[in-house]
Amino acid sequence: MTTTTEVASKRAVAARRNYSFLFALTLLALLVLLWAILTFATPNFLTSRNIPNLLRQGSMIAILALGQTFVVITAGIDLSVGAVAGFSTVVIAMLIQAGVPVWLAIIMTLLVGLAIGIFHGFGITRMGLPPFIITLATLTSLRGLGLLMTNGATINITSKEFTDFATLEFLGIPSLFWMVIVVAIPAYIFLSHTRWGRYLFAVGSNAESARLSGVRVQFIIYVAYSLSAVFAAFVGVLLATRIGIGNATQADGWELQAIASTVIGGTSLFGAVGSVHGPLIGAFILATINNGANLLNVNSFWQRIITGLLIILIVFFDQLRRRNK
Amino acid sequence: MSDATAAGAATPAAETGDTILELRNLQKHYGPVQALKPATLAFRRGEIHAIVGENGAGKSTLIKLLTGVIRRTGGDIVWNGSIVALDTPQEAIDHGINAVHQEVVLCRHLSVAANIFLGDEKVRFGLLQKREMTREAQRILDGMGFSLPAGAMLGSLTIGQQQLVATARASLRGTKFLIFDEPTAYLTRQEAAQLFALIRRLRDDGVTIVYISHRMEEVFELADRVSVLRDGTLVGTRNIAETNDTELVAMMINRSIEQIYHKEKVPFGETLLETRGLSGKGFEDVSISVRRGEIVGFYGLIGAGRSEFALSIFGRNPRTSGQILWKGQPVDIRNERQAIRLGIALAPESRRDQGLNLNLPIGLNINLPIYDKLTHGLTISGREEAQRADKQIKDLGIKTPSRRSLASSMSGGNQQKIVIGKWLNHGADLFIFDEPTVGVDVGTKAEIYRLMADLLKNGAGIILISSYLPEVYELADTLHVFRTGHLTGSNAFHEATHEEVLAEAIGV
Repeated sequence: MTTTTEVASKRAVAARRNYSFLFALTLLALLVLLWAILTFATPNFLTSRNIPNLLRQGSMIAILALGQTFVVITAGIDLSVGAVAGFSTVVIAMLIQAGVPVWLAIIMTLLVGLAIGIFHGFGITRMGLPPFIITLATLTSLRGLGLLMTNGATINITSKEFTDFATLEFLGIPSLFWMVIVVAIPAYIFLSHTRWGRYLFAVGSNAESARLSGVRVQFIIYVAYSLSAVFAAFVGVLLATRIGIGNATQADGWELQAIASTVIGGTSLFGAVGSVHGPLIGAFILATINNGANLLNVNSFWQRIITGLLIILIVFFDQLRRRNK
Repeated sequence: MSDATAAGAATPAAETGDTILELRNLQKHYGPVQALKPATLAFRRGEIHAIVGENGAGKSTLIKLLTGVIRRTGGDIVWNGSIVALDTPQEAIDHGINAVHQEVVLCRHLSVAANIFLGDEKVRFGLLQKREMTREAQRILDGMGFSLPAGAMLGSLTIGQQQLVATARASLRGTKFLIFDEPTAYLTRQEAAQLFALIRRLRDDGVTIVYISHRMEEVFELADRVSVLRDGTLVGTRNIAETNDTELVAMMINRSIEQIYHKEKVPFGETLLETRGLSGKGFEDVSISVRRGEIVGFYGLIGAGRSEFALSIFGRNPRTSGQILWKGQPVDIRNERQAIRLGIALAPESRRDQGLNLNLPIGLNINLPIYDKLTHGLTISGREEAQRADKQIKDLGIKTPSRRSLASSMSGGNQQKIVIGKWLNHGADLFIFDEPTVGVDVGTKAEIYRLMADLLKNGAGIILISSYLPEVYELADTLHVFRTGHLTGSNAFHEATHEEVLAEAIGV
């Protein structure tokens, strides 16, 4: 009996490892398939103008989704990332226009993001608010605050040095995509090779057990939300370089795209399941669908519907597989 | 005393009733663990049938089988002469089998009347007849002799009153067989009297009552017959008039000690932990000490305050007064990390809720307390991580093909080994084992006892918390007994008899 259960269990381990590998591969295949279809369907897709454009668009959602993933692994959610990104465009625009050196303005903007993340951690661990509520509250407040600071106006960023960044390319790849790599590599090391990554999973799996094992659960919550908010502020900086303005209404609805990318990438909203590569691929799948729909002149209203259906479909199949095990 | 028992000695009234429900070799096992061994028993129409037994004796299993919450693995349930499936709770209710649980499972935010009629609301033209339902509910409650306001929110009542509402609800709708699970746990004396009056009236109306309780005095006050469960075995049934509490207690514990409790005498060393008049949520004024080489046992019923005390020592719950001394020095343990740093380890009561990260790999669980030690520079040494996990898996004989298997895929015994391995991996001076052998097979139990002996030989001290008397009785050098948050007895090894210890725990 022991041997049969052992064999079955061994098979289960192998199946699970194969599964997460296969899932990533399937997502990647889906992305390639979309690109192949679009290449044949429209001559405008595989062009030196469109591809960098697509990469730029996908990059920002990808970084948001990565930050979101840390939070979702702890079985939480961060609805504020779009608002944080929008607010950050205002912060960096005001700083640069006030004559603050660009490097310092970037650091200060990221610190503002950190402060927002710490506030989320405080609301969750000290005030006992559900993550959904506290981040929903900052979502609406930050949009308001940003509009208040600018009196509803848009701030033009006149620093050419700053706004040129988004148009730069290195080895033929747009700078914004390089930023994904710059963020993703440390994120991967953090999640998979440091104790903090292990603790994120432990807290998402069973916070009480983690606590009784000596994990500082509240601190880990702070870490997760701080990372998410800092990543969002970073996306705000990138967005500001791209559009050259500061405006609190920018990045509207990006939080949902980020969550969608995370979930499509195999992260479980129940916590303790997630990776770095998953949300990245998820973000570029979404970006490709939007880009392709534009090129094919599909009504932009349809894009939203297709995105919704895709989320349902991918997560449904993922749930199905998990349930069967 | 009721009429039935007064007439008792010659011809117990219950004997005249015909059988309403019969168990024929009914059994339930979870994997290799026998929760209920083949039991044969006939419940009669219109009797109050008490069921007594220690924690884990199989009482809850029996209730769950009869109410369709779990499925039997063998035997038959015969209802009114025909075999029934009882696969779902709804089927049980349709037959007229109902239960009042220890914890109230009603909607706190609805009114008493709405709770009583939940799922069976009165409607006219698709609209709720609220006023009529409230009036009807009030009539029912008054008729039962409960002084409860039908219009009040359930949540505004005391737990005891809510229990009475649950009872009222369960006794409606043609209930013919009603199970009470420790119904008086939260009731005041007056509420209990109201409940007993209702129970007797239901009995006189021909309803069969199954009454589960730890409290001997209630059993003798209320029941017509009593059945005793021990270790999943139905030991026997007695007419209440023909037995006494001494006999029942003896039946509850007089077990064949088939398990081998591995105990080695280790010379005691320095005092590791001492508490002086420690109080906190769920326990009061507890003074104990633990030396190196010593097993200190905590015995008591579930909810007696043993686990709360342990969690407080471990820094999980704050103490309200009293003092903790660690190796002779007063300490103020404010969180778990501090306790762990001092050298205290806790294998908590519930593996599922407190002990394990079930949907994560075994290796991660085992290494969770020591990731700071595995970190060199910024990152974890993957090789060391694997070695440490594999060492515990090998040493403890955890039956898994890989440290990457999820903890949830393991059996109860192996899961317990993971929890223990986590702390062996970390190391500690004082090990607190809270119910370490619940849901664990006999073989693993013996291994766990051996492991404790090894820990003692290496100079550790152990606190062993158990609701299973033979276990603490045979293993503990000092046996403390808890009842309702207080220490009610402290006995040296084999100083008191089983009967005396059990009496201290349930307060006969």
